[in-house]
Amino acid sequence: MIAIENLVKQYGQFTAVDGVSLEVPPGEIHGFLGPNGAGKTTTLRMIAGLLKPTAGRVLVNGHDIAQEPEAAKLSLGFIPDRPFIYDKLTGGEFLRFHGGLYGLGEPEIGGRVREMLELFELARWEHELVESFSHGMKQRLVMCAAFLHRPRAVVVDEPMVGLDPRGARLIKDVFRRMAERGVAILMSTHTLEVAQEMCDRISIILKGKIIARGTVPEIRSMGDGHDDHLTAVFLKLTGGSGLQEIDEVVG
Amino acid sequence: MNVRAFPYLLLPHLWASRNRARRRERGDFARGVMFGGVGLIVFAALVQGSYWLTGHLLDYEELGDYLLRIGLSWLFLTFLSFLAFSGIVTALSTFFLADDLRLLVASPVATRRLFHARFFRTVVQASWMVVIFVVPILIGIGWARCAGPGFYLTALATIVPFAIIPVAAGTVVTLLLVNTFPARRARDILMLMGLLFAASLVIVLRFIRPEQLLRVESLPDLTDFFATLQSPITPLLPSFWAGETLFASLAGGADLMHAAALWTTALASVVVVGAANERWYFSGYSRSQEAPKARFTHFRALDVAARALPLPTVRRQLLVKDLKIFLRDVSQWSQLLLLLALVLLYLYNFSVLDLQRIPYMSGYIKNVYAFVNLGMAGFVMATVAVRFVFPAVSSEGAAFWIIRTSPLPLGDFLWSKFWTGLVPVLALTEGLTVAANQFLGIDPLLKVMSALAIVLMSFALVGLATGLGARYPRFGADPSQAAGSYGGVAFMVQAVLFIIVIIALVGWPSSVYLMHQMRRAPFTAAQQLLMAASLVAAAGLSLFVWLASMRSGVRALEQMG
Repeated sequence: MIAIENLVKQYGQFTAVDGVSLEVPPGEIHGFLGPNGAGKTTTLRMIAGLLKPTAGRVLVNGHDIAQEPEAAKLSLGFIPDRPFIYDKLTGGEFLRFHGGLYGLGEPEIGGRVREMLELFELARWEHELVESFSHGMKQRLVMCAAFLHRPRAVVVDEPMVGLDPRGARLIKDVFRRMAERGVAILMSTHTLEVAQEMCDRISIILKGKIIARGTVPEIRSMGDGHDDHLTAVFLKLTGGSGLQEIDEVVG
Repeated sequence: MNVRAFPYLLLPHLWASRNRARRRERGDFARGVMFGGVGLIVFAALVQGSYWLTGHLLDYEELGDYLLRIGLSWLFLTFLSFLAFSGIVTALSTFFLADDLRLLVASPVATRRLFHARFFRTVVQASWMVVIFVVPILIGIGWARCAGPGFYLTALATIVPFAIIPVAAGTVVTLLLVNTFPARRARDILMLMGLLFAASLVIVLRFIRPEQLLRVESLPDLTDFFATLQSPITPLLPSFWAGETLFASLAGGADLMHAAALWTTALASVVVVGAANERWYFSGYSRSQEAPKARFTHFRALDVAARALPLPTVRRQLLVKDLKIFLRDVSQWSQLLLLLALVLLYLYNFSVLDLQRIPYMSGYIKNVYAFVNLGMAGFVMATVAVRFVFPAVSSEGAAFWIIRTSPLPLGDFLWSKFWTGLVPVLALTEGLTVAANQFLGIDPLLKVMSALAIVLMSFALVGLATGLGARYPRFGADPSQAAGSYGGVAFMVQAVLFIIVIIALVGWPSSVYLMHQMRRAPFTAAQQLLMAASLVAAAGLSLFVWLASMRSGVRALEQMG
C-alpha cells in the first residue's frame, strides 16, 4: 500500500507539490495524471525517497520513508521516467546487482533474473552490454529490475514511453497480473487511453494540487456529460484545449 | 533481508572495467602503447631524479639529512593541498552528481553503507595521481639510501592514512557546500576557485624568481630562505607526520608517535565524516536534485558584435551558439585561466632572461632561440587545439541531430567550426611569438618569418584538429575527455610531427641566411633556390594539411550513419 499525507515540496518560493494526499490500496492500479510541470514526477520521486519533502508524510506498506527508509524502499519497486542503467554492464549483470541491492540471496538471484528476463522477453540479451540495447529494451530491463524483488508496491513514472505496441501490451498485462496478486501500483502517464484501460482509480494533479479523483467513470462524469472520452475531461479540468489560439496562429 | 557489506556497491564499477577491458575499441593498442610509454618514462625519470638528488644530499651529511627531511615534509605538504582540493571536487561528483545515485538512493541501502562505498571510491579517485607520483619518488629515495623493506612497508602504511585525511576534510566541505548551494552551482564555484588557485600559485612561485638562488651574491640570504621553507611546516599537519614517519624509517628507526597520529586522525575523520554524512547527506542529495531557474549571462554584446560581422545568417547563428555555450559553461572556459597563467609565465621568463650573462647566448645562437620559441608556440597551439578545437564537433553531443536534419550543408557547419577555432588560436600564438621574439631582440627578418610560420601552422593545425574531430567524434563523452580519445591522440602525434617538419623547413633557410649575414658572404644561385624551395614546401605542406583535413572531416560527416 502507498499512502501520502499532505505532501508539500517547495523550491525556494515555488511550490511544486502543495498538500497532496493519496492512498493506493493493495491490488489497485492508480493513475496519476496531470499536464507537464504539474508536480507528478516530484511527487513520485518523494515517494521513492529521492527527494526530501518540505512537509507531509509518505508511507509505503506501513513504513514511513523518512523514519524507516530501508524498510520502505525494500517493499517498493520504482521505475523512473529517465532510468539510469550502467551502460558497460550486461543485462544479466545489472539485474544481479540490483537483486543484491534489494537483499536477494545468491541462490535465489540467478533463477529470478532468468524468470524476469523471460517474462519481459529479454532472455537472449542477458549477456549483451546495456549500451547496445534500444530505448524500449532498456525500459523493459528497468521493469525487470523493479519487479525482481517482488515488491508489494510499485511507483512508475511514464511506463509506456518508447515501447512498441507489443512491449506496451506486455507491460499492461504484467501490471494487471501484479495488481491481481495484491501489488499496489501508482502510475503517472500522459497517455490517457492507457489510464482509461488500466487504472482502477485516477487522480488529476494541477499546479501541485489534486483537482479530481475517482474511478474512470466518475472522472468521465465530471465532463459536460456528452463526451465519453477522458481526453476532453482532462482538458476541461486542466485548462482547456487552446484550440482557439491554435486557429489564430495557424491562420 | 540479506544485507551485503559496502564493497558490494563497488561491484558495478569493477564489472564495467572488466567488460571494457574485454571489448577492445579501435586504437586501444596505440593509445595503450603511447600512454604506457609516456607513463614509464615519467616513472623512470622520477625514480632517477629523486635517486640523484638524495644521493647528492648524502654528500652534505647533517645538512643533507636536514634538507631531505624538509624536502619530504614539503613534498607531502604539496600533495596534502592537492588531495584536499581533489577530495572536494571528487566528493561532489561521487556523492551528489553521479548518475548511478538515482538507482542507489532509491534502493534499500543504508546511508552508512552508501557512505563507506562512496568514500572508498572518492579516496581512490582523488588520490591515484598523487600515489603514482609519490611511489617513484619514494623508491628513488629508498634506493639512494639503501633502505630495507621496512621503509617500503612504512611508506605504504603512511600513504593510506595520509590520503584519507584530506579527502575526508574535502568530503565534509562538499557536504557543507551542497547543503548551502545547489550542487551544480557548487561545482562551478569550485572549478573556478581551483583554477584561480592553481593559476595564482604558478604565477606567485615564478615571481619569487628562484633563479636568483643560483647567483653567488644571493648566498647571504640562504638562512632567510631556509626559514621561509620551514615556516609552513607545522607539526599539526599530516604532511609533517608523514614526512617524519618516513624519515625515521629511512634511518632504520620507527617514529611510532607520528605514525599513530596519522592513523588515529584518519580513522577518527572517517567516523566523524560518516556521522556528518548520516545527518546531512539526504538533505544535500535532495537539494542537488532540485533544478531552480538557472542564472546565466545573456551576452547581448556578443549578439551585437556578431551582427556587425559580414557573415551569412546561418554562420552567424552557429558562431553565436558556440560562443554562448562555451562561455556559459564554467568548466570549459575556466581552463583558459590556467592557460593564461602559463602564457604570462612564458612571456615573463623571456622578459627576465638576462642573455648578456650567458656568453654563448648572443648573435647567432640568440636568433636560433627564435626557433625554439616557434616550437614552443607550436606545442601551445597543438595543446589548445586538441583541448578546444578537436572536441568542436563532439561538443554538439546529443543535439547533433539538429544540424544533421537541418538544410545546412555539413561542409558549412564544419567550416564554421574551423573559423571559430582559428581566430583565438591564431591570436594567442601569434601574440605569444611576436612578444617573445621582441623580448629576445632577434633579427627583424626572423621575426617576420616566425610570424608567417605561425599563420601557416595555425591554419594547418586548426584544420587538422577540426577534421580529425569530425572523423572521430565522441558525442556521448564530456568535451574535455575527447582529447584523450583515439582521435585526440592521433591528432597530437600528427601535430607534433608537423611542427617538427615545419620548423626544419623554415629553420634551415633562416640559419643559412644568418650564417651568411654573419660572414657577410653572398648566396649562390643554388642556395637561393633551395632556400626558396624549402619555404615553399613549408607553405605547401601547411596548405595541404589544412585543406585535406577539412575535406576528410566533411566527408566523414556526410558519410556518418
